[in-house]
Amino acid sequence: MNVIGEVLEELWSMFVGDRRLTLLLLLVVAIGAALAVLLPRLHILAAALILVGAVAILADSVFQAARKARR
Amino acid sequence: MTTGMIAWTTAAPAVGAAFVASTVEVVEAFTIILAVATLRGWRPALTGAVAALGALAVIVAALGPALNLVPLRVLQIAIGILLLLFGLGWLRKAVLRGAGLMALHDEDAIFERERTRIGDEVKSARAADGIAALASFKAVLLEGLEVVFIVLAVGAGRGLMIPASIGALAAFLVVMAAGLLIHKPLARVPENTLKFLVGVMLSAFGVFWTSEGLGAPWPGGDFALFGLVAVFAVAALALVAMVRPRAEAMAA
Repeated sequence: MNVIGEVLEELWSMFVGDRRLTLLLLLVVAIGAALAVLLPRLHILAAALILVGAVAILADSVFQAARKARR
Repeated sequence: MTTGMIAWTTAAPAVGAAFVASTVEVVEAFTIILAVATLRGWRPALTGAVAALGALAVIVAALGPALNLVPLRVLQIAIGILLLLFGLGWLRKAVLRGAGLMALHDEDAIFERERTRIGDEVKSARAADGIAALASFKAVLLEGLEVVFIVLAVGAGRGLMIPASIGALAAFLVVMAAGLLIHKPLARVPENTLKFLVGVMLSAFGVFWTSEGLGAPWPGGDFALFGLVAVFAVAALALVAMVRPRAEAMAA
C-alpha cells in the first residue's frame, strides 16, 4: 500500500506540483473556453490566448523560481 | 497524397515526442534497476521490473477501452491541459537547469544514492531481496506510468496511438540495448537537452489539443504543430538567456 501511495503522490506532484502554474493554466483555459463560446467566428483568438497564456505562465514560473533561488 | 502528407506531419511529432520522452523515463528506470541489480543481483531487480510491467499492462488494458467512451473533444481538452501541466513543468526545470539555477540530472549520483538507500534499508530488514524487488517495482511502475501517459497524451487525441506506441517501444529497446552493452548508468545521455525537447513538444501538443477541444482549431491544421514547437523553443531559449545572468551573478 505504501508503494502505491508513494506512486500516486509522485504522479500527483507531476501534474500539480506547482500550484500557481496549475491555477493560472486552468484560468487561461477557462477564459479561452469562454472566448470560443462567445466569439465562435473569431475562434483563433481563443487558440492564440491559450498559446500566449501558456508562454506567459512558463515565463512567470521561471522568473519566480529565479527570484526564490536569489534569496 | 495530401492525406498522406497530413498523416505524416501528425505522426512524426507523435513518434518523436513519444520516443524522446520515453527515453528519459526508461533511462531513469534503468538506473534504479541497475542499482538494485548491483546490490542484490539481477533476480530481484528483474522480478520487480517484470511485476511492474505486468501491473502496467493491467492498467492499460483496463483504462484503454474506457477512453473510447469519452467524447473526443472532452478527451482533447483533458489531455491538452494535462500535457500543458506536464510539458510546462518539464520546460521550466529544463530552463532553470540550462541557466544554471538548478542542478543537472545526474544518473551516476542517482545510482549511488539508490544503492545507499536500498543498502541502508536492507541492513535493518530480513527480506533483503523483497526490498530490492520493491524498489525496482516502484521505479518501473512510476516511470512506466509516465510513459503510458505520454503515449496516451500524444496519441489519443487523433488516433495516433500506434505511432506513439512505436516511439515508446523504440526508446525502450534503444535504452535497454545501450544499458546492457555498457552495463553502467547511462550518464552520458544528454538528459536536460532531451527534457528541454520533450517539454517543448508536450507543451506544443498541449496547446494544440486544448485549442482543438475548445472548438478553436489552428490555421493550417496539423502543420500548426511545427509552428507551436518553434514558439515554445524560442521562448524557452530566450528565458534561459534572460535568467542565466542572474545565476552567474549568484555564483560570482
